[in-house]
Amino acid sequence: MRILIIEDDQETRDFIARGLGEAGHAIVTATDGRDGLFQATEGNFDVLVIDRMLPVIDGLSVVRMLRAGGCTIPVLILTAMGSIEDRVEGLESGADDYLVKPFAFSELSARLQALGRRLPTTQAEPNRLVVGDIELDFERRLVRRAGRRVALQPREFLLLAELMRNPHRVVTRTMLLERVWDFDFEPKTNIVETHLSRLRGKLNAGFDEDAIETVRGAGYRIRGE
Amino acid sequence: MRPLGHSTFGLAMLVSLALTLGAVGIGAVSYEVTHEALEQQLDHRTATETRALLAEPGSERTAAIASGISRREAIPGPEHLEYLLVDAKGHHLAGQLDAVAPQQTGHAEFLHYHDGRIGQSLTTRLADGATLVVSADRAVLDQTDRHLLLLFTTAFGTMLLLGLGGAWTLGALTRARLRKMDRAALAIIGGDLTHRMPIDGSDSEFDRLSATLNRMLDRIAALMSNLRQVSSDVAHDLRTPLTRLRNRLDEAATGTGEQRDAAIEAATHQADELLEIFAALLRISEVEGLGVRRQFREVALSEALLELADTYKPDAEAGGHSIETDIAPEIRVLGDRRLLIQLAANLFDNALRHTPPGTHIHVALGVEDGIVRLSICDDGPGVPDAARGRLFERFSRAEQSRSSTGHGLGLALVAAIAAAHRGEATLLPGPGFGIAVSLGPTVA
Repeated sequence: MRILIIEDDQETRDFIARGLGEAGHAIVTATDGRDGLFQATEGNFDVLVIDRMLPVIDGLSVVRMLRAGGCTIPVLILTAMGSIEDRVEGLESGADDYLVKPFAFSELSARLQALGRRLPTTQAEPNRLVVGDIELDFERRLVRRAGRRVALQPREFLLLAELMRNPHRVVTRTMLLERVWDFDFEPKTNIVETHLSRLRGKLNAGFDEDAIETVRGAGYRIRGE
Repeated sequence: MRPLGHSTFGLAMLVSLALTLGAVGIGAVSYEVTHEALEQQLDHRTATETRALLAEPGSERTAAIASGISRREAIPGPEHLEYLLVDAKGHHLAGQLDAVAPQQTGHAEFLHYHDGRIGQSLTTRLADGATLVVSADRAVLDQTDRHLLLLFTTAFGTMLLLGLGGAWTLGALTRARLRKMDRAALAIIGGDLTHRMPIDGSDSEFDRLSATLNRMLDRIAALMSNLRQVSSDVAHDLRTPLTRLRNRLDEAATGTGEQRDAAIEAATHQADELLEIFAALLRISEVEGLGVRRQFREVALSEALLELADTYKPDAEAGGHSIETDIAPEIRVLGDRRLLIQLAANLFDNALRHTPPGTHIHVALGVEDGIVRLSICDDGPGVPDAARGRLFERFSRAEQSRSSTGHGLGLALVAAIAAAHRGEATLLPGPGFGIAVSLGPTVA
């Protein structure tokens, strides 16, 4: 993916750029809002990483200007401010995701992967998802593996759907908490792990291959083949 | 000099001046009305007397009138009326009135007597050319006028003095009261944060203002002490994980291979834990700041709570716990959905992590007197009495040992979220452990 990073703090910028570069992405950086805005409209990027507090033009204004100008490139906002109001403001400005500093690199990477391949928001979600031998039907709330029906609880169904929206990509525990449970905090108990192990148990019953892979220190990934 | 209207004294002064001016106006009008009425009365008396004289019986009119005058003058009366009758040539015929008969007939307001007195007269020309003058002494009128003037002047003077005195007293009282408040404020600025505005129990507007200011000061003091408490708690409670982090890094620096990797992983874990503490502290202070109320929407609490209970059930069952729900349907409340979920999740987390297997957890949601009430209780071992008082404070842990998991922030957040929703979190009496939370009025 081509990724533009607009971040004024050099250490953070280098850390992200190095990590994403090593992962095989093409990285362009900008250090202030005006330069970033210019780069974002000129270059052909798959995803933008924008720090909230930027010199010259602040991050939220950059996002607003981009959106006002008709730019639909997915944006992830980085912020040191984690308050509820900031998050609401960030997402209302037109950003697609919001990550609070400090963050684990794996978290940023997983979120960018999810953003970069995301369908434009204007396009409706398909009624059916297929990854490998797993098939999920939203309308009939049905799941089949290799044609065999798998009965899931509502929450397990949503969990599987979130994994299947990101085929072959890691989905972190935090992303699952946000998107499946609408939690913006880390519960002390292992609710993600417990639900995942139940889901896994139901999906794998009668199969040799584990449908969901646990990526150590990062998250979970649905196995394609 | 400052404009009068800007001080209490000046303001009271202006009001009393205006009142005095009004009173002077009223006085002038009543003086004028009284004066006119008295003059009319005198005119009326001279006219009546003239008519009576003209009606004196006798064949010769002028002679009859002259005799009438003599007769009247012979009897001293309280009437203060005086008479003069002169013939056409101006010769005195009768009457003791010592003045020149006016040429003009009719009423005259001022007839000057030779002795200096002034009368109000009525002059009548008789058929034979003689002139009859009936005059009333104006001394009565003048005396009344003087009395009225004296009365009014005294009244206005008193009013002005009272006004001045009142204005001064009012100003002085206000200044004295404000000076007290000023001194209190200066004392607070000077660092005595326990100082409060004086209240004299009069329930005056000053008292009410002072009471409001004191409530404000109390709130600020509470926030300040909270802040101080938090700062020292943070400093104290972060030392342990920071020390552990440092130890791990030391291990990593000296260790090799697998040992080093393990140390680095442990260090990362410690750092994450620290960040988690910070996130929890920030969340608590954000919620306590009440700014979250701006995002409040209607929340379908019954559904959210049922979903949450379902979410926790597998985990509970895995740990040998059971969750039982008693949730009234269709309960809605004005609030922040995610915060309310976090509140309940914290209580679930507590119940699941601090009780032995086999513990039953009971969740209830209902409406009592229009107020939404949530309770999450368990039949576990409960908490020691010593820990009950501080349970909702930051970094308070029921277990004394520092090694036990948790940072003692969960219940502090529960209390803060309840307060933001205009409710309260309370610890239910044992046995077991139970928290009841009120969440403000239900939304129809």
